Amino acid sequence: MFLRNPFTKALFDARRSLLGWALAVTAVGSMYAAFWPSVQSPEMQQALAAYPKGVLEAFNYDDLTSAAGYLGSSVYGLLVPLLIVVFSVGAGTRAIAGDEEAGTLDLLLAHPVGRVRLAVQRYAALLVALAVIVTLLCLAMLALRGPAQFDGVTAGELAAITLQLLLFGGFFGALAFAVGAATGRKGLTLGISAGVAVLAYLANGVIPQVDGLAWAREVSPFHWYLGGDPLVNGVQLAGPLLLIATTSALLATGTWALTRRDVAT
Amino acid sequence: MADLAISTEKLVKTYGRNRGLAGLDLAVDTGEVYGFLGPNGAGKSTTIRLLLDLIRPTSGRVTVLGADPRRGGVALRRRIGYLAGDFVVDGRQTGQELLGYLANLRGGVPRRRIAELADRLDLDLSRKIKGLSKGNRQKIGVVQAFMHSPELLILDEPTSGLDPFLQQQFVAMVRAARAAGQTVFMSSHVMSEVQQTADRVGIIRDGRLLTVERVEELRERAVRRVEIHFAEPVPLAEFSALPGVSDATVDGSTLRCRLDGRADALVKAAARHTVVGLLSEEPDLEELFFSYYSTGEADRVSA
Repeated sequence: MFLRNPFTKALFDARRSLLGWALAVTAVGSMYAAFWPSVQSPEMQQALAAYPKGVLEAFNYDDLTSAAGYLGSSVYGLLVPLLIVVFSVGAGTRAIAGDEEAGTLDLLLAHPVGRVRLAVQRYAALLVALAVIVTLLCLAMLALRGPAQFDGVTAGELAAITLQLLLFGGFFGALAFAVGAATGRKGLTLGISAGVAVLAYLANGVIPQVDGLAWAREVSPFHWYLGGDPLVNGVQLAGPLLLIATTSALLATGTWALTRRDVAT
Repeated sequence: MADLAISTEKLVKTYGRNRGLAGLDLAVDTGEVYGFLGPNGAGKSTTIRLLLDLIRPTSGRVTVLGADPRRGGVALRRRIGYLAGDFVVDGRQTGQELLGYLANLRGGVPRRRIAELADRLDLDLSRKIKGLSKGNRQKIGVVQAFMHSPELLILDEPTSGLDPFLQQQFVAMVRAARAAGQTVFMSSHVMSEVQQTADRVGIIRDGRLLTVERVEELRERAVRRVEIHFAEPVPLAEFSALPGVSDATVDGSTLRCRLDGRADALVKAAARHTVVGLLSEEPDLEELFFSYYSTGEADRVSA
């Protein structure tokens, strides 16, 4: 049943690592969320107020006085998106370049499987895996709302950030996928994707602190994901659309390059 | 053209500054077993990967089963079975899982057919592939290439890693495929791998086809060792000067010699005596093959 096509096969092959990632991301998120009652204490608020604003901004810690602000900064602002980037880049790299360098792509492409079909199905599997991870995290947040005292954050708002997190991961998955599909080289793909992720992170929190470079935030996928505060204001328009547009462009370019080039032995 | 399973015209493939193929003209008839021989690096795998549209030609034409591999795409590859020279797959799955998946990609293959092939090759499909020996992995490769009974089998050094018993099974499978009207295109760097099954062999060197020969004719021309046992001692002089005979020695009532070409004169000469036994080795075609290699070398030096 799971071995019907490249899409289900990719999910089947990733089942164990997917379970591990989903549990790890959920555990990290839940742990941060569970700290909220203690962060609310006056002593903690005083201690945080003592930090320079720039340092806090660099860590996406914009507003630690409200539940939504805290969740947006700690859970959805730093570690979780970084884990999602690592997962997406890894999965995107494996989808074509990893398979090709391992020498296993040949057999598949010698079968009646078109390159476009393979690309689409492999990326779709990545997206579904991402959806499983962010949904599990979302469910954990929903369950923790009462015990960890952030019931002010609605289910709709959590769903909004979950969707935007999915699109954010989808972007980095598409980036690694596209570079891998175009070059077939795993190391190069990981390097470029990691570089872009670091730049995107800096462009969101650090570079805009320099005078005259405030615009850098506008081109950062981190900003597209978190900008407009989806945990407070629900699903945004501009950020998600930019993520979808860039993701589509990357997928189209990568797949086009794959259909035109030689597959390495 | 319709009766050609594979044809290439002036096929060129360059990798960077390296020449993979330098104008290859190939014609494989439908229904024949074609041995594609050449030393490592001659361009055999490059040719095969071009036939499967894994790589694209720099120039020249390729036609496989009447279609261009690139335009024929998925529909064309449905009709082909392929075994790579280095058959590598993800080891974290069982043979059953992998073959089931590949069969699904082909639109389904009866389970019985897979089981029958696995039995024939003495292959355990329930084990994880990473735990299998190189030979057993190769068997999985053989099964996936044959299981859907494709019109065209493209096999890249298929028996490397198989033990002699399995090589015999493989030979039987190729013969069965031929009998069923399937075309087999099989590469190798040793003549012995293809001489039992191939109708014709093409010899490739440095990206060019040097010659195409019928195996039957090669056999006729090949040098073979012959031993004839007579009832009584025979004079050497009667045999040593016969056409095609060389290195003749007589040891009591036994004549040993090398025979080049037809056996007619030797047999007729022997028939004048009482022949007790006659032993003729399978001709060593490898020698002929090497002679092509070395003439190829000479051409290259003089060029």
